[in-house]
Formats: sequence, C-alpha cells, structure tokens
Amino acid sequence: MSNTDFEIKKPKVDLNYSSHLKPVHSDPNPEAKPLPKVTIDGKTYEFKPGDTIMQVAERYKIHEEIPRYCYHPGMPIAGTCRMCTVEVEKAPKLMTSCSTPAGDGMVVHTRSEKVMKSRTGVMEFLLTNHPLDCPVCDKAGECELQDYNFEYGPAKSNFKEEKRVYDNATTKKLSPLVTLNMNRCVHCERCVRFTDDITKTNDLVMVNRGWHKELEATTPEGLKNDYQGCLTDFCPVGALTWNDFRFQKRSWFLAKKPSICDKCSKGCNIEVHSDADVVYRYVPIHNEMVNGHWMCDTGRNSYQEYMNPLRVISHMMRQEDKMHSVSIEAVLASVNAQLKGTSSVQIVIGTDSTREEAALLKDKVPALIGKNVSVSYFNGTGVNTPADDKKLDNLLKMKDQTANSRGVEEQGLTPLTNGELTADVAVLFRNGRTGIPKMKADQKLVLWGVWSQSEIQSLPSKNILGVIAGLATIEKEGSYKNADGIVQKFHPAIIHRGGALSAHHVVGLWKSLT
Amino acid sequence: MKTAADYVEQILTKHVNVPNCHTLDYYVKNDKGYEALRKALTMKPADIVDEVKKSNLRGRGGAGFPTGMKWSFMPADPKDSNGNPKPKYMVCNADEGEPGTFKDRLIMTKFPHKMVEGMIIACHAINSNKGFIYIRGEFYKETRIMQKAIDEAKAAGFLGKNIMGTDFDCDLIIYKGAGAYICGEETALLNSLEGKRGEPRLKPPFPAQVGAYGMPSCVNNVETFAAVPYILNEGAEKYASLGIEKAGGTRLYAVSGHVNKPGVYELPMTMTLREVIEVAGGVRTGHSIKAVIPGGASCPMLRADEIDVKMDYDSLAKAGTMSGSGGVIVLDETVNIVEAVYVLLKFYEHESCGQCSQCREGSHWLARMFKRILDGGGNNDDLDYIAKICSNMAGQTICAFADAVTGPALSSVRKFRSEFEDLIRNGGLHPEKGGAHSHAKEGAHV
Repeated sequence: MSNTDFEIKKPKVDLNYSSHLKPVHSDPNPEAKPLPKVTIDGKTYEFKPGDTIMQVAERYKIHEEIPRYCYHPGMPIAGTCRMCTVEVEKAPKLMTSCSTPAGDGMVVHTRSEKVMKSRTGVMEFLLTNHPLDCPVCDKAGECELQDYNFEYGPAKSNFKEEKRVYDNATTKKLSPLVTLNMNRCVHCERCVRFTDDITKTNDLVMVNRGWHKELEATTPEGLKNDYQGCLTDFCPVGALTWNDFRFQKRSWFLAKKPSICDKCSKGCNIEVHSDADVVYRYVPIHNEMVNGHWMCDTGRNSYQEYMNPLRVISHMMRQEDKMHSVSIEAVLASVNAQLKGTSSVQIVIGTDSTREEAALLKDKVPALIGKNVSVSYFNGTGVNTPADDKKLDNLLKMKDQTANSRGVEEQGLTPLTNGELTADVAVLFRNGRTGIPKMKADQKLVLWGVWSQSEIQSLPSKNILGVIAGLATIEKEGSYKNADGIVQKFHPAIIHRGGALSAHHVVGLWKSLT
Repeated sequence: MKTAADYVEQILTKHVNVPNCHTLDYYVKNDKGYEALRKALTMKPADIVDEVKKSNLRGRGGAGFPTGMKWSFMPADPKDSNGNPKPKYMVCNADEGEPGTFKDRLIMTKFPHKMVEGMIIACHAINSNKGFIYIRGEFYKETRIMQKAIDEAKAAGFLGKNIMGTDFDCDLIIYKGAGAYICGEETALLNSLEGKRGEPRLKPPFPAQVGAYGMPSCVNNVETFAAVPYILNEGAEKYASLGIEKAGGTRLYAVSGHVNKPGVYELPMTMTLREVIEVAGGVRTGHSIKAVIPGGASCPMLRADEIDVKMDYDSLAKAGTMSGSGGVIVLDETVNIVEAVYVLLKFYEHESCGQCSQCREGSHWLARMFKRILDGGGNNDDLDYIAKICSNMAGQTICAFADAVTGPALSSVRKFRSEFEDLIRNGGLHPEKGGAHSHAKEGAHV
C-alpha cells in the first residue's frame, strides 16, 4: 500500500463503531451505466448495486440512524431483532432494512406510522424481561436499549408478569476479562456471530430455545479468543461487561479522544476514554484500512502501563549515590557535561518512537553532543527489523510489539548491531514498548522517554547518568507508520500531568545550554 | 353412516386396513407399485413437472403452494462461482409437529413406498440425484419403517444406481430431527439438516437458490410426495377432477378431539367442516360443538355456527382461518376455551426458536397472561392488551411462527370473549381453590 497519510478522527455516529461508508457518486465516465436510485423518506439517492437499505441510509446519514440490535457493520447479517424494519411500498410486510437489498425505483419510508408502531412493539417486548438496573449497569449512558427506548419505546408497559431471571445471572464470568449478566441480554447474538465468523474460535453459543435461550461458553474454560474486549464494545446492553472497566466510571463522565494503540505494529485506531486525564479504557474506532472495527485485548489493556504509578514521570539524576528527582535543566546540564567528557557516544532510538522524534534525535542531537555519534535503532520485542514482522493470527495481532518500526527505519537508520551497546555512553530513547539492549557491566547510560521504575532498578544504578522523562503516545502528537505502510497522525488524547516533556521541548532546552 | 370411501376414491388410504400394506411386496402386487416410476423414467423431467402442474396438486404441509410451480422454480443448471455444476437436492419434510396433525405419520407407517416412489419421481423431475427425508425425532417407529422401505426399494432396483435400467441415479437419506416444532419450517429444517441450530433462515435467498448445504433444494411434504404416483398412473386430469378448481386431489384430514371416531380420513376438498366432523362420527354423543380448529393448532378457531365452511384453501381463508395441515380439532361444550388456548400457548412458548424479539418475548408474555387470567388475576384491560400484543407479533418476524401463536390467541379473544370475562369476574377457573386451575402445575421449563 502506498504512503497514505490520514488523520485519526472520531466518527460521527456516537457509538463505539460506525459505518465507514461514503456516498457514492456517479461515475464521471458518461458511457457508464447510471447508478440505480432508491427513494428514502421522500428523497432520492444513488446506491451501489448490492447495497442494503440500511447501507444506503448509512452512506447518506438519513436521520440519525436506523435503529438496530443484531446488525453490526462488521459482521454477517442475522435479521432477527426486527428493530430496523422499514416500510417498502408494494411490499406486503415491513422489511428489515439490514437484510433487504435496495432496488432501483424502490420507495422506502423509515419513519412511517406503521414502522414506528412496530419499533415501539419491539422495544416493549425487549423491555418486558429487561431488569432495568441502569443505575448499577456499566453500559448506562452508552446503551442502545436506553437510546432506542428514549426514541421509540412505549411510555409505560403493561407487562404484569414476573420477569425472567437466569441462574447466577449477575456473577457469571465468561473469562477473567469478561462478565456476563444474562438477565440484561436482548438476544441479538452479535457476540455469537463474532466468535463464529470474525475470530473463528466458536467460543460462545446460545443454549436452550425461545424465551429460555441463554448465552454460554462452549468450553468450561470460557472465552479463549484475544478479542474479548470487542464483545463488550458491541454488546448493545450491559450483558457483557469488561471486568477492567466494571464499576470504575459512569460513561458520561468520560472524555473521548481519538489516538492510536502503540502495543504492536498494526496501529489500531482507538478512542481514549479518560476523566481528569486519567485513562479508564481504550475502545477501537472504525478504520477499514487498519483495524476494521476491532482491537485486541493486549492493546486494550496497554493503557495500564502508561497509567502505572511506577512509570517515571520526573527527570532524575544521580546525587550522593542515589537517584533524585531534579529539574530538567539540572539533568541536561549534568548529562551534557558528562557526554562531552567521553570518547564515544551512541544514540539508540526505540522503534516505538514517532517518526518526528526519530528524525529529531537523528538530525539534531548528535550536533548538540558535538562528537562523532553513532545513531541506530533497536526493537527488542522479538523482531530486529520490520522485515521480521509477521501476523500472529488471522485478524490484527502482529509479532512486532512496537508501533513504528517502519517509520524509524525509513529515517535511514540501521538496527543496533547484535542488539548490543558498544560505546562508552549510550543514550536510550524509547516510548515504553521496546526492550532494553544488551550491555557490558560498566555501560554508562542516559535514559530518555517512557521508563518504569522497575526497568530502571534492573540496571546498575551507578552507571545511569540521568533519566529524562518523556511523553507516551496518548499524551503527545506525531505519526506512526504501521506494518502495512500506512502513516497515521495523532494528537494528544490526554494532557500529561507529571513532569515529562516532549522530545522537542527537551532538545530545545538542551540547545539553549550549549 | 357414510364412510370416507362414499365421498371420494381413496387414492392414498385404500389399503389402510390390510396388515402388510407397508411392504414392497404388497405395494407392487396390489397398488400399482412403482409403475408410475417406470412411466416417469420414460418421460422428460419437464413433462413430469407439467403433469404435476396440470394436476393442481398443492402443497399439503400447510401453506398450500402449487407443487408443480415449486418444482419449476428449481434452477435448470446451477453453477458455483467457479463454473462447476452444483448438485440439487429434494428434501422431504416429515417433521410433522403441528398439534392435532397426524396424517404424515399414517402415510409413513402404512404407505412408505408411495412416498418413496413419489420422491424418486420428484427427484427425476428436478434432475436431482439425492433426497433427504427429515423425520421428526419422536417418530422412532416411522423412521424404522421408512428405512426398511428404502432398503427394500434399493434391493429391488427402484433406488440407487441406474434405476430400472435407465441412467438415472437416485439416493434417499433419512435424517432424524431432535423433535423441535420449528424444524417443520422449511429453512429451519434445512439448518437442522446441516447440523446447525434449528432456526429459520432469512429469505431471500429461497431454498430453490440456496437450500440444503448451500445447494438449490426443494422441500415438500410427505402427503404431497405420496400423491405423485397416482397423478402419473391415472393422469393429471383425473387427479384434478377429484378436487376443486384450484386444488386437485383428495386431502387427508386428521380429526381429533371430542368426536366419536377420531382418526385420519381421506376426503375431497368440496366438503364442509361439518361434514368432515360427521364422517368422523360426529361430536361425542350427548354433547355439542363449542369450537373447531380446522387445520392444526396454529389456525384461528371457528365457532360452532361457523363450521358450514368449505374445507378448501380459499374458502377457509375467506372465513378468517386456514386450511393448514389438515388437523381438525373439535372441542365440545365441556372445554374452557381459555384453558385450551393456554395449553397451546404453553406449547408455543416452549417451541419458539427465540431468534426474533417479538416471537421470543411475545409468546411467553401471552402464555403468562392467559395463565394469570385462569388463576383469577386478570382484568378487562388484559383482553385489549392480548389483541395489541398479537398485532405487534403477527407478520413481523422471519418465519410464520409468530402468526401461528397469534392464531388461537387472537381468535379465542374475539370469538369467546365472554369466557374470558367470566373468568375475570369469577376470579379464575377454580375460585374456590384460590384461583389455581387444573394446569397450574408448572412444567420444569416454565
């Protein structure tokens, strides 16, 4: 794929997924056949042959959206929830817009009286057995049952019977990561189709029939795919919840900003959900060219490393045999002096750095040190160069656990020979994802970027000349080039509240010292 | 009293009382066995389809779709995406699960060869070399008899390779279901046949394009196949003349309930429902009819004053009900309609596959509501709400199951409203027992 630059944007529809579909326009070639046209709610739209009514409506953003439970743009069509029915003129019954292909000359009404009555009926049926425990439900605020009930639901229900209660409904763990509350389920079976058709692991199955239908894992071990978080994203109600987020935050308090997952070379587009600049979760956002609608669990939980209390967020240097937090100016002055006094210096750029940081470190920093400085890159997550990278499964996961191997290599850098430091002093720049190179016992080090205290403690502390705290992916701006060669720009999703500084800021200060 | 034979030629059930009528030997010697197949193999497939079209044979499963037309919908020369020819399959729906219907069971126990012969002819007519017989799980005996009939036919050269010396091959395979009512719906049957959950598929694509194992398939009822040999032996005109204008032949009516002689009767479609009940010995002595379900449990019921309706597809449709699968259930005045319908609704609640929201939740809601009324907890608003639930269910789902649920529920409220009101006013069926009624015992699944 060519170098296509594009910026990550949050899609318009405020759900965790949305359609990527863009309006089709007539082929400029005048001899081409005219596109078929369909009339929806009084307006005529062109469509690609084969589009369903739902897809045409999504392309043109007709109204907000056609309500749906079982339909998901990334999955096969089931047509069972009957929420998306529309009235098609000349058709005897209401048609499900998710499964009915648009036809040339078809006249569709998406909000006629008959349609609204049907949707109210479906909502009433779904709510008969729903526990309505929204005050303690984690999905509240982003729940499709709430949203659609607000729009279509009946004002009151005449259901006077007892509600359905499943055994152990609220405490069922499908895996260490996901909890199932079967009482809340509306039986859309998105989750079953996801494990059948997307991950192809067949983890979930509906047992029993009709009103007693119950979701169960196919094996006693529970879910075994690596995309379990997606189940909790697209579950329209709070039946499947992500244990890590369970009872942590009400969803309406969350600020939602787009960013990129840097846990592997795929570069999945994500939305960072935070409150007061504390991240609570990542959720994927749709990008057909990169990750589709999904992201893996490893990436989803990778925010924890940046939010970890052990992450070093202040600049440190050695004073009286101990590491002390000091100002950036003090660290830079000390480091600068010691670098000038040594014969050989090497800069090692982690492949998790952004393209801009790699260029900055290669072009500007050697001049600041003022010596013949060797610059190389290092990965340390099982791959040496981007050529070693490979897919780990049929969906997204990559072997390379850093985000920008291609982008760093593109700067004309070479990998660190044998993965071993050779110079007297090594400046290690990383974003918290690469490994640590091999080194001799008395190797002098300058650590720069995202480091954790445990990593620093594993190094001989008397050799550490200084630690410069840097920003993590979600806190800075830049761009990554992913395994498929797609360059993706991103902006800060949260504001860093510690002492860490961007690489450009540090280089600017360094320059003013010399 | 007149018997069924006095009304029409017994083309299916003539030999029903002979002990060995299910054997190949008897069928070949006494019932023109496999002569129709011999004749069919000399005919072009298209001519057989034309003959069946001319006979006005309509599907006996319940919907009454013209059989010849269904066969002609099968693609002539299906190809897969690589251009390789695809096989076509003939599927026999022997999942007779409709409450009150037991006519296919009679054919399978007494005349298995008639059905096998009809199915081989049908395979020839649509150029298919393989047929699946999907038999309901509870039919152990019938499955054994059918398997024996297929083995006999194979040994005699009516099935297998080069049938009767021609180059036509045909194989029939029996598949036992697990006893789910919904698997009588043709696409749920196909799913079940493939080993998937028995849930109806979205249509389109119809089975004629994508059916069993993704191949073009044609699904017909047992009785439909059993009628085919007669059509070829005696001619389409003869068969058509036995019936009425738009529907040829005779029908099997499974009459049950409060009649003197319940059973399966082969009768012409020109008769009225009252006459059919008369043939079955009339309502049990000393009692009078209260309600009749004319075509299996899912049809709306008729009051005693409405049973002078003709038993053909269109007259019954005009009367607001269906001809369905031919299961006539007669209820006399000792029956409480609410209780009777509750029993049906409990069945439907248990058998809904649970795909579509309306059917899954609605069938349960209706059953609970009927039970509450029986237990004395009802009020007059409930009756209007039953109608509202039914209108939200009917015609809104993938298959016709939701319509089947609303058939008895809605018709009972419309036609026997006073019985509901009595229960509401009196505090249930057995107010002296605190409202508990005879069916109050909960099943394990409810």
